[in-house]
Amino acid sequence: MATTTYLSNPDVTIATVNLRDQCTAATLTRTVEALESTAFGDTARFNVGGLENNELTLTLYMSYAATETYATLASLVGTQCNVLVSPQAPTTPNTYSATNPGFILTGTYLESLPVINATMGELSTIDITFTGGSSSVDVS
Amino acid sequence: MTKYTVVSPRVGTPGAEFDADLAVMRGANIEALVAGGFIKVSAPKPAKNAKKDIDTNEE
Repeated sequence: MATTTYLSNPDVTIATVNLRDQCTAATLTRTVEALESTAFGDTARFNVGGLENNELTLTLYMSYAATETYATLASLVGTQCNVLVSPQAPTTPNTYSATNPGFILTGTYLESLPVINATMGELSTIDITFTGGSSSVDVS
Repeated sequence: MTKYTVVSPRVGTPGAEFDADLAVMRGANIEALVAGGFIKVSAPKPAKNAKKDIDTNEE
């Protein structure tokens, strides 16, 4: 049985700033683009790996207070940064393992930031997407 | 070399020294962290008392 239930522990660090307590969803997808290599004589389509094209999507509560969501992300729009997501916050900071890997995107790009997403009577949340960057896994 | 102190628990333990070199290796923008109030420039330590450097032993 292979199941993973996320309760409260996943860790989200953006440019060394931990925003776990503002994050409600995280999806990091590692993609290696498929390049078709099918040739005459083949009877099926074949592919080889191309460039990595990774993506991290986060849902965050928006807060304009000091050192919160907006203060963290405002300076990152249009720049590259490093992000780290792990299934659980390590008991010792920055210490990950095979059973609690730290998934890292290095040089990933934040293209846009919704600065206002306001709905009457609801907590404001934003969805942001980091694109590109090289992927690695910290298990040390 | 400029030293920094952690202000926000989002980047470490408040009051502890912030390892800027390690943070830069991990992709941090130090200027943005200072501007955002996450860390602050550590106050320079007071100069050592000059008297301590003078040998007053008359022997």
